[in-house]
Amino acid sequence: MATEQQEHLKIEQLRQQSADEIETIAGREKENLEGWIPTLASDAEIREALEKAFDYRGDVTITRKDGSKIEGYLFDRRSGTSLSDSFVRVIPSNERTKVNVSYSDIAALAFTGRDNAAGKTFEAWVKKYWEKKAAGEKNIQIEPEKLD
Amino acid sequence: MAVPVSQAWTVATYVLKQKLAGRKRYPLVLMLEPLFRCNLACAGCGKIQYPAHILKTDLSPEECFKAAEECGTPMVSIPGGEPLLHPQMPEIVAGLVARKKYVYMCTNALLLKEKLHLFKPSKYLSFSVHLDGEKEHHDFSVCREGGHDIAMEGIRTAVAAGFRVTTNTTLFDGADPNSVRRHFDQLMAAGVESMMVSPGYTYDKAPDQNHFLGKAKSRRLFRAILSNRKKSWEFNTHPLFAEFLMGKRNFECTPWGMPTFSIFGWQKPCYLLQDGYADSFKELMETTEWSNYGAKSGNPQCANCMVHSGHEASAVDYNFGTLKGFIETAKAYMFPSTYPDQEAEKLLNEWKPAHAMPLVQIQGATKDQLQPVSGD
Ligand code: SF4
Repeated sequence: MATEQQEHLKIEQLRQQSADEIETIAGREKENLEGWIPTLASDAEIREALEKAFDYRGDVTITRKDGSKIEGYLFDRRSGTSLSDSFVRVIPSNERTKVNVSYSDIAALAFTGRDNAAGKTFEAWVKKYWEKKAAGEKNIQIEPEKLD
Repeated sequence: MAVPVSQAWTVATYVLKQKLAGRKRYPLVLMLEPLFRCNLACAGCGKIQYPAHILKTDLSPEECFKAAEECGTPMVSIPGGEPLLHPQMPEIVAGLVARKKYVYMCTNALLLKEKLHLFKPSKYLSFSVHLDGEKEHHDFSVCREGGHDIAMEGIRTAVAAGFRVTTNTTLFDGADPNSVRRHFDQLMAAGVESMMVSPGYTYDKAPDQNHFLGKAKSRRLFRAILSNRKKSWEFNTHPLFAEFLMGKRNFECTPWGMPTFSIFGWQKPCYLLQDGYADSFKELMETTEWSNYGAKSGNPQCANCMVHSGHEASAVDYNFGTLKGFIETAKAYMFPSTYPDQEAEKLLNEWKPAHAMPLVQIQGATKDQLQPVSGD
């Protein structure tokens, strides 16, 4: 789920106009989170960083307070009233399982994986298409990335 | 009739049973996402942006069957990712058909011709082919030159082999209603059973964030497309949902109507938004704060949503929930209207293709330039 900050363009647009009148809806502002190591000094910082990690489409690395690390895709978070009853759920990058980590067990968080949603706009594709066409290429496409 | 009578009957009796049992919230179609990887990389898609280890993970057939049994819907839609990349897709489809589920296997059809022999025609199985418009529009929309021709060939081959084939078309800002209407003609001529059309959802994760239709433009566009419709066009969406798209009526969203299951679990709250995951269908229904979603909730992520996965179930519920809804729907099915509308005609005639770039024309990719994509 995007945070308010990430959705601010749409929120601003909806403040000015009713949804029923909007012609083209504002998209989401891209935030460059790849490589980010948030400071987790307060409860609020921990919650915000983990919300962003939940929204992030790349792997993250969590260091637990006992020093152990888990690297993987953070696909869910469950927010309770305190840090100890809130937890994230991670699919490790090397195993098909789901691991729970309590917010209160987290010593450090790093956005270590590539942001797979950092993207290519439609305009960029059209530009690329014409460049390739001019160069005489055939079968022009945005190819899905190789998985190995 | 856009769906076989047996399917309409199964769905009607299922919904009536839910109503008689007093169930306020019931699911209608399971959206089963057995994988996220795809052989296309569309700029408007927000479904496939994951790390490689996630993209390589598949739901097993057993996990798929368990999900279908848990939620108990009469229909199962299999989007993705591209389901034909799943090595066990024929087994999954056969297992769902054996359970008498009406299956819509959504595909971009790049591999349909190659893999068709792995499936058996059945009244329970329909290939729902993703085609966003005429050649030029589709190829640009899916960011692949030649994609349209391969998909159309897949459609013709599947129709000739006796399969039910439907289509789904997603429209983004820049869609040209005149072209969409020609696209409908082409699809019906290719022998598809029926078609579906829906506005693109504003996916946070879509690489392209600048071409999502707002509600005002969506309604105008759908009014231009779906009014004065040809008698030959068949749609497999509920007629009142089509009226919703045309701005003739309003429905609040029914996020639980098409629950989504993937390798992450049951997605809260709907097919489009990701606000967490439940481990069981029961948990999904009981722990999701449903009042946080839908246009009425004030949630900015729902403000612009008009998509079928959120609103068609609302039309179906209205259909069976009130006498008025029942009569209106019966009338729409028995005496289908072509929605004559002079204003819509004018809209069509005056519509200027409003591309964000010069109107482009992909020139005749010949058959031998189109290399079939190999799957897994
Ligand atoms: S309005 Fe759309 S995005 Fe929001 S819950 Fe309903 S279907 Fe999902």
